[in-house]
Amino acid sequence: MGETENEPGSSMHGVSAKERAFAFSVASPKIPTDPTAKFALPVDSEHKAKVFNLLSFAKPHMVTFHLSWLSFFTCFVSTFAAAPLVPIIRDNLNLKKGDIGNAGIASVSGSIFSRLVMGAACDLLGPRYGCAFLIMLSAPTVFCMSFVSSAGGYIAVRFMIGFSLATFVSCQYWMSTMFNGNIIGLVNGTAAGWGNMGGGATQLIMPLIFELIKQAGATPFTAWRIAFFIPGCLHVIMGILVLTLGQDLPDGNLSTLQKKGDVPKDKFSKASICHDFHLHAFVLWYAIINYRTWIFVLLYGMSLGVELTTDNVIAEYFFDRFNLKLRTAGTIAATFGMANIFARPMGGFLSDLAARRFGMRGRLWNLYILQTLGGIFCICLGRANSLDLSITSMILFSIGAQAACGATFGIIPFISRRSLGVISGLTGAGGNFGSGLTQLLFFTSSNYSTETGIFYMGIMIVACTLPVTLVHFPQWGGMLLPASKHGEKCSEEYYYGAEWNAEEKEKGLHHGSLKFAENSRSERGQRVGSAATPQTSTTEDV
Amino acid sequence: MAATGLLLGLILALGCFSEICVAIISFSSLQTTLVVTVSHPRRLLRAGEDKITVRWGLNQSLPAGTDSAYKTIKVQLCYAPISQVDRAWRKTEEHFSKDKTCQFKIVKMPYTTGNQTLEWTIERDVPTATYFVRTYALDANDHEVAYGQNTDAKKTTNLFEIQAISGRHVSLDIASVCFSVFSIVSLMGFFFVEKRTGRKAQQ
Repeated sequence: MGETENEPGSSMHGVSAKERAFAFSVASPKIPTDPTAKFALPVDSEHKAKVFNLLSFAKPHMVTFHLSWLSFFTCFVSTFAAAPLVPIIRDNLNLKKGDIGNAGIASVSGSIFSRLVMGAACDLLGPRYGCAFLIMLSAPTVFCMSFVSSAGGYIAVRFMIGFSLATFVSCQYWMSTMFNGNIIGLVNGTAAGWGNMGGGATQLIMPLIFELIKQAGATPFTAWRIAFFIPGCLHVIMGILVLTLGQDLPDGNLSTLQKKGDVPKDKFSKASICHDFHLHAFVLWYAIINYRTWIFVLLYGMSLGVELTTDNVIAEYFFDRFNLKLRTAGTIAATFGMANIFARPMGGFLSDLAARRFGMRGRLWNLYILQTLGGIFCICLGRANSLDLSITSMILFSIGAQAACGATFGIIPFISRRSLGVISGLTGAGGNFGSGLTQLLFFTSSNYSTETGIFYMGIMIVACTLPVTLVHFPQWGGMLLPASKHGEKCSEEYYYGAEWNAEEKEKGLHHGSLKFAENSRSERGQRVGSAATPQTSTTEDV
Repeated sequence: MAATGLLLGLILALGCFSEICVAIISFSSLQTTLVVTVSHPRRLLRAGEDKITVRWGLNQSLPAGTDSAYKTIKVQLCYAPISQVDRAWRKTEEHFSKDKTCQFKIVKMPYTTGNQTLEWTIERDVPTATYFVRTYALDANDHEVAYGQNTDAKKTTNLFEIQAISGRHVSLDIASVCFSVFSIVSLMGFFFVEKRTGRKAQQ
């Protein structure tokens, strides 16, 4: 574990909900507890927590978890804060459908770039400052909403607020410095899911705040501007909490530890990144040439992407189609995003469950079924004419799409060991790109109504989930074809070893991948149970 | 025989009833019996400040008793076609339950014969758009039975524009700047203070 610690590219490690979704702790002697450490939770030799206790606020591990997911949640709240208020904003700023659509696209596009910068920022400054910088520097962009008086201004501000979604990267990075690798799956999955909930919570919060401010005497066109101060202040408060209560590593803050000599400065310095440029190029190369990467980029665009798009359009849709009050439309829209609290971890859990019996083939089928069901219910939502049917379809659609998000990251760690970080980053970017694309295609033009747009989006989801049938691992098989039977290609070691060239293998750099390959034999499933289960494997139940 | 007669009678009654229902909920079946005129101080009006004067009354050339069913008058501000382009939330539909043309109520009052005049200050939640005024006559069941508007059937003449309030306030702008500055300054403050404490710890 040591050599991959905090290495650029490993920052995404464990972003899955894959590892034993119900593994709340890692027992000794599998990972020995450090007896000298004085932490509230049992820790390993690197002082990372071995236990994930949701009800605790123990410093520093659980405090970090709560700070982390709350920061991500706050950024989701502010990015989608405009969505439930669009019926008021469109009248104030004289927007057309195209303007509203473009603003939605802008809100999800910014973070495609900011995520890349965030990875580097976390490496250089540590996750605490990475998070604090982003959240406090994006607070002014939220406050800027009070200045907006035209469509152009509205689109620009939503674009800038969207940059804050890169807190996803700092959130996941910070978790991996605080929690042991064997439970990091659940920790990261929970943090990501609860953060995503912000997109639902905001649909509830913003209309409520708006109504309260209106009742206090403000006109609608002023009230919505004042309402934006709430997410803005949340940014500032969370930023201050992160700076005062948070710390980069279990033993202290990065700069303090570097000065003491406990943490080699090289790991986080610019110099090391330039020096290792060719290594990073290889990591990028192996991610790009693997066709599975691109299939999952597309797939995640049709699960997370579609979720973000729906966050942007659903409140306005219910308001217009069924003539509901703003608050009622917001409440209904909120149930879409709030399903993340259980749907996303559930997708990862189902992935693990399927893998126990059927291995990787089970995981692929699980993903295909969940995402296709999401698409089918999206079609139903577009076709539903009554409120009850619409709400039911929407809820089932949300569960399908969000569970598919969790299931996707149940497979991603297995695509590549060496390039996991890059692939996770590309997949995440694919999610945002998918959101921008679906909004552009279906919700910006006046040629068809919103319900027709939702219908077409459902068709696109079903069609674009089909490529998962093409994913095939020589050692495990794919959805339709079994594992290769001939030659050396049907071993995990060959697959993961192929990412290292002969020179690197001579230096022994690939040993981490080999260890991973050994552990991943569980992906063969139960039917090939005669495959050796080494003592170090993660298949043991805790 | 009697049963068949009763059934037929029921079907006929239902048919008439449904016809009446259809007539009530569809715009095109309404008669234009009211005459409406609107006068305003200038072409471009300002919401929250300017007033418009609406005059309405029964068309005198119609026979007496046309307005016997009219109990209430509802005067509404409606979007002109040019303001409905690319804005499906203002679309004109045949059925009243789906129609979104007229979204602002100017006044709703009991119907009296003769001409009525009303001076109305444009409210502050009216968006920037081009408008006309339509007056509905409602019966005792609150269903539309007749209407009149100050523009022609194609909604091209006598339109007027309203400029909405911006919703911005100087105090809001100042608060926004203050909060933003606080955010940036506190972040930089923390950063530099910690750097300096770190340097001191090293010495």
